[in-house]
Amino acid sequence: MLETKDLRPPPPAEAPLPWRETRGRKILLVDDERGNRTILRQMLEPEGYVTAEAESAEAALEHYATFAPDLVLLDVLLPGLNGFEACRELHRRYGAQTAPVMFITAKREADAIVEGFDAGGVDYVLKPFRQKEVVARIHTHLQVRLLLAHQQTLVAQLSQANSAKNRFLGMAAHDLRNPLASIRGLSEFMLDGTVGPLTPAQDELAQLIQQTSQGMVTLVNDLLDWATIEAGELKLESKLLRLDELVAKAVRLTGLTALRKQTRIEFNHARPVPRIRVDEAKTRQVIDNLLSNAVKYSPPGSTICVALEFDQANQRQIIRVRDQGPGIPDEERARLFTDFGRLSTRPTSGEPSTGLGLAICRKIVESHHGTIEAENQPAGGCEFRVLLPYLPS
Amino acid sequence: MIPPSKALIIDDENHIRKYISLVLRSIGVTTICEATNGAKGVEAYAREQPDLVLLDVNMPVMDGIETLRHIRGLNAQACVIMLTSLSTRHTIEAAADGGAVHYIRKDTQRDELVALLTDLLAEKNQIIN
Repeated sequence: MLETKDLRPPPPAEAPLPWRETRGRKILLVDDERGNRTILRQMLEPEGYVTAEAESAEAALEHYATFAPDLVLLDVLLPGLNGFEACRELHRRYGAQTAPVMFITAKREADAIVEGFDAGGVDYVLKPFRQKEVVARIHTHLQVRLLLAHQQTLVAQLSQANSAKNRFLGMAAHDLRNPLASIRGLSEFMLDGTVGPLTPAQDELAQLIQQTSQGMVTLVNDLLDWATIEAGELKLESKLLRLDELVAKAVRLTGLTALRKQTRIEFNHARPVPRIRVDEAKTRQVIDNLLSNAVKYSPPGSTICVALEFDQANQRQIIRVRDQGPGIPDEERARLFTDFGRLSTRPTSGEPSTGLGLAICRKIVESHHGTIEAENQPAGGCEFRVLLPYLPS
Repeated sequence: MIPPSKALIIDDENHIRKYISLVLRSIGVTTICEATNGAKGVEAYAREQPDLVLLDVNMPVMDGIETLRHIRGLNAQACVIMLTSLSTRHTIEAAADGGAVHYIRKDTQRDELVALLTDLLAEKNQIIN
């Protein structure tokens, strides 16, 4: 016979996995017959487990508190409380921290098995049992428990590292902000001749400095907003106001920037809309963001349509912003409102973007219990919708 | 509106002093003095007797809040505008609560800054007249 050589690459050296080793773990054996407990003990101790024994459910509950087992092997038919009741009591006392409970019993009716799982058991083994099988099951359940604990530790560590990173990001953005604003302001003084006339070449450079620093101020502001929201510090100061007035203000302001791209913003709303309770500055930020995105991604000379309507049936207001951009590629749609979810679509005049704007919008809208969505239009372009509910105040 | 003729800027950051002084000149302030920390700022206040003070909150040696106390000690009617950043806004709101002090954010756009200062000074003139 031909000998085949194993061509597979050697398995990578394994990092120590703290949840792999189950030796030394503690198991509480609960059975009213001493003989059964002895069999279990003699089976488990050679595997490296530490055992304690209880002859009744009541004794088991008492032992559990002091012995703090990693797993409980629990008979069902016991004097006094039965195994199912004991299992329920353990879960009532220790909740999610309860050690896995394996029933080990001669009670083989299907209903009983179901009740065992119902009571919170993780496994149900019938007597007479095969030793190797029981040992294997115990090993698995212990691993699952250790893995869970390990995972919880990791999640806690990660979340700590993440908030440290967010704090750092916030500080960095914050420290960049004032100097950048000064660079912008100083270049504006150069441009307007305050400090003397500029040659055309100097003027061009000063303009570049002004535009670039303006872009960077915007990016830093996005980062700061995002860091604030991530730190859970987004606080709403809501008051009753008319959304049509708010939208009109935003349209006027962004309209000025849009004119530089020969882009027009049209705002239609049928009749005065009822007042709604929202945070004015934050809602304005959402509208500004949607408008400036629409301008950014539409080719020069486009018309952007903004509409506001009152959805009587669902008691909410809908803000629609429709652009004439390339729309959102289907495969990128899921990333649209996520952090740093920049798409392949680029601004048509090279405007800067952090990919945070829409994530910030989503968080602001959601903090108002609203939703934000985007949909490509059959005729081209994309419509962004913000749906803001009326909340009982 | 008659702009104040003399202003004092107290800030440890060079670019802020420069920027604010250009803004002030653009609204007609004729004499501008600068100080790089709170202690020097108090000295400069006593010496120059400015009509208006722009005071940074966060400075080494003596911070803005304490500097404000010293300046107020010299002249209870001193017109002081605090220069704040995003993180110091709440500090000054709390510290200057009830006082005649205003605050402006250093990263404010130039046009807005001009408008804010013009408004604040118009208000001040109204009180005086």
